[in-house]
Amino acid sequence: MTGAGTDARPARRRHAEHVMGTVVSFDVPASAGEPHGDAPLGRAVRWLHWVDATFSPYRDDSDVTRFGRGAVPLAECAPELAEVLEACAAISARSGGYFTTTPGGRFDPSGYVKGWAVERAAAILTAGGSAEHSVNGGGDVQCAGDRLWRIGIADPLRPGRLALVVAGRNLAVATSGVAERGAHIVDPYTGQPPAGLASLTLVGARLAETDAYATAAFAMGSAARDWVEGLDGYEAFAITAAGGTWQTSGFDRYLG
Amino acid sequence: MANTAYGPVQIQLIERSGKIVKVAVLVQPTNTLHDVQIGEFAFPKLISETLAAQSSKIDAVSGATYTSAGYVKSLQSALDKRS
Repeated sequence: MTGAGTDARPARRRHAEHVMGTVVSFDVPASAGEPHGDAPLGRAVRWLHWVDATFSPYRDDSDVTRFGRGAVPLAECAPELAEVLEACAAISARSGGYFTTTPGGRFDPSGYVKGWAVERAAAILTAGGSAEHSVNGGGDVQCAGDRLWRIGIADPLRPGRLALVVAGRNLAVATSGVAERGAHIVDPYTGQPPAGLASLTLVGARLAETDAYATAAFAMGSAARDWVEGLDGYEAFAITAAGGTWQTSGFDRYLG
Repeated sequence: MANTAYGPVQIQLIERSGKIVKVAVLVQPTNTLHDVQIGEFAFPKLISETLAAQSSKIDAVSGATYTSAGYVKSLQSALDKRS
């Protein structure tokens, strides 16, 4: 597809960047430039690698690792770390502690950082002049633009298949579930994987909070439904371990 | 609702803008173990394939986080190769 001839749509570019332990997929106008250039796509890609270097709990020299072991005070870290900690504290409070920055006992704000980084990558593209783009951070998607975006929801019980398609404008879609590495979300109150759910998809406007709330809701198990009903601006769809599904009362408007 | 030789079957399709966006089996035969097995296997496959047939209209895929290595097998990687 070149955008020439009878195709009135401007040319698009897809790019997959390996970063943050996963792959971030971009769907952008060709005018966003090259992934390694100074144009908006290049700036968004560089931002993600900066976040990885600064926030990775797996790198000995990242601010998160050094702050977590008490080697440096917050004031000597990148100012974005304080911003992230503040957001995490608010989400933790709003989720009754189901979202935590110490999921495995040690400091690790990754449950917020990835969605936040992807949301901001999308904002970099918007600021650079892109009117329509999506950024998918390993399965958590930020869409920008007034067109109707259609996002397939992977079926956790049947790999390679879709369970559902959600559609909307300017939306964020995050799914938490039993990852391929095994159950990586635990109920912080029991230390065990949550019982009952195979995956939970949350739809909102901005990925940073949508992703973190999806993580919290998944950890709640069946209690997630009532909790999300009480959250303004968010709708949930869940697949249970037994293969059943449920959704919150306003979810239907995202079905196409 | 359709009354088949095996019992009543009711399937709900939700359609928006001419596209099927959700398929649900509301009623299915459960008279015999064989019926139940068909329900557990065939209906989910049918639902998934109905949606997958429209996957050319999908922009991205949301699911539990994949690793850098697992990405290769993901539906998203197939979309990324499209252009």
